[in-house]
Amino acid sequence: MTAGRWPASQLVVRAVVLVGPVLALAMMVPAGSTPSPWVFLLVTGLAAGWAWRPESVLGTLGLTVVLGWWVRADLGVPAEALVAAVGLLAAHVAALVAAYGPPRLVVGAATARLWLARAGALFVAAPVVWLLSRLLEDRSEPPGVWIAAMVAVVVGSVVAALAYGSTQEDPVREA
Amino acid sequence: MTTRWRTTATLSRALVLGCLGLGAAVVLGEPVALVLVGPLVVHAALALAARPAREPAAIAEIDHVSLHEGQGTTSRLWLRDAEDAEQVTRAMGVAAYVATRPADGCVSRLLDEGVPVLEISPRRWGRRLLGHEQVALTTRWAGYRWGPVTLPGLQMHVLPGAAAYTSRAETPQPRGLVGAHRSARVGSGTEFSGIREFQPGDRLRRINWRISTRTRRLHATTTRAEEDAGILLVVDAVADHGRSGGVDGAASSLDLSVRAAAAIAEDAVRRGDRVGLRVVGGSGRQLSYGSGWLHLRRLLLALAAIRSGTEGHHSLATHAPVPLRATEGTTVVLLTPLLTDAIATVAASTARRGLPTLVVDTLPPDAEPALPEDVDPDLAALAWRMRKVEREQVLAGLAALGCPVVAWRGPGTLDEVLQRLARRARLPRVRA
Repeated sequence: MTAGRWPASQLVVRAVVLVGPVLALAMMVPAGSTPSPWVFLLVTGLAAGWAWRPESVLGTLGLTVVLGWWVRADLGVPAEALVAAVGLLAAHVAALVAAYGPPRLVVGAATARLWLARAGALFVAAPVVWLLSRLLEDRSEPPGVWIAAMVAVVVGSVVAALAYGSTQEDPVREA
Repeated sequence: MTTRWRTTATLSRALVLGCLGLGAAVVLGEPVALVLVGPLVVHAALALAARPAREPAAIAEIDHVSLHEGQGTTSRLWLRDAEDAEQVTRAMGVAAYVATRPADGCVSRLLDEGVPVLEISPRRWGRRLLGHEQVALTTRWAGYRWGPVTLPGLQMHVLPGAAAYTSRAETPQPRGLVGAHRSARVGSGTEFSGIREFQPGDRLRRINWRISTRTRRLHATTTRAEEDAGILLVVDAVADHGRSGGVDGAASSLDLSVRAAAAIAEDAVRRGDRVGLRVVGGSGRQLSYGSGWLHLRRLLLALAAIRSGTEGHHSLATHAPVPLRATEGTTVVLLTPLLTDAIATVAASTARRGLPTLVVDTLPPDAEPALPEDVDPDLAALAWRMRKVEREQVLAGLAALGCPVVAWRGPGTLDEVLQRLARRARLPRVRA
């Protein structure tokens, strides 16, 4: 069950944290732009530090570098961007789960299932935006259409969360 | 408790990347940025919507604060005003001789599944302080965290394990009022002593009619009295020799002494005898004679409080006699590794007083001294060999005084020597 002092579940989530940003950057190659090896090295190093310390700012830095390189490459909105979004989201969620406790913490099955389902639900935002951008790609879009779309998604999500509401009534819980 | 909900690194990361992605999309006209960070923006929005409203409180408790080594109990966490929390994480620090399940003392669970519990099992007698525990609560979508809050470690009184021990030997000098031991004097017991001519005061039901009709004079059957006995347990806590691996591992000298004392005390209490305790060194605790299960519990708690050392023991430092306050008729049982002169003196002086005294040797065969870093190991090994030679001389001296020394080996350890002491006690003695 355990490898050294870290349980297998922690190794898995931290491996996802490590691989996710690198995968997102690597998806630029089939999209038509090959990042410099130094960028790969930088992102891998930041991802490794992030996997070691899931709560550190290294995660934000690593994802920012990946995002910046995608924007800098000016590749349009290729389908590979969806795979890259999967990588970024997977690393983000895996780091979140790893940060629930110390490295020796075993990730519970229920927690893993919950966050897999949530990650799947969150990912829906990426293909929606991708489809919208592809549909509007050849048209002259009205000013602020992207912002309006994003605001609509956010407002919809907030309303859904508020509707989800609190269902807990008991003031004291016991094991 | 001043701990408050704080935003997590997860929420900060989602917000920063969301803002950067939106900015890049608007300013640079790159919709791919929105594709990449869209899920994170949604996540940040949901996490913000789950902002907690109440400040929770957490208290940890264990089901049993006093139990025997090797037994187990449960540490529970009580939460108040934790409706905003979704995930509970508990991490208990490592404490000496305390096993936990999960083995690393760390558990995290969704609150809907119930607050996670930690199973705890102390592996060695004594006062055990559980490790500090850290508790953290996380809201839905992991946007806010409460804690980690450090809860102070709880103290447990771990009683020595109830080692299997029974003794069938009679006590050398029973001197009590009522009990289970055969006395040397005639009384109203049940064990046959003899037949003699009827005397005024004899009960009629004691008349032996068969002998009386044969001899044509009234004869009565006499029986031995039955008395309880006193046992004084003297535990040598001046030093702890050898390594202790807990209830399932190797035993140090103090482990053997304490567990043997607990076993002898339990056997004595079961037979209705009075037991007293004197700790030499360490806490220096004394417990007067008593009987019954309540007294046994007091005695086990006193044993659990033992710590090795000589601080505050003037008599040990000055080689002055250690007063035992053992009364006549008491059997003195010394549990010692016999590496302290004062203990050997105690054994010799009680034996000279005529008190039945026996020594239980608790030095582990593989015991070696713990060396400070600046001590030459060869020199220490030589000193240890010399000390063991001196110990052999002490053992020989005690044997010459008629004070038996036995190694503790569980049930029946003391039977043979107690029987020998009882036989010796019945022999006629000439007093000066």
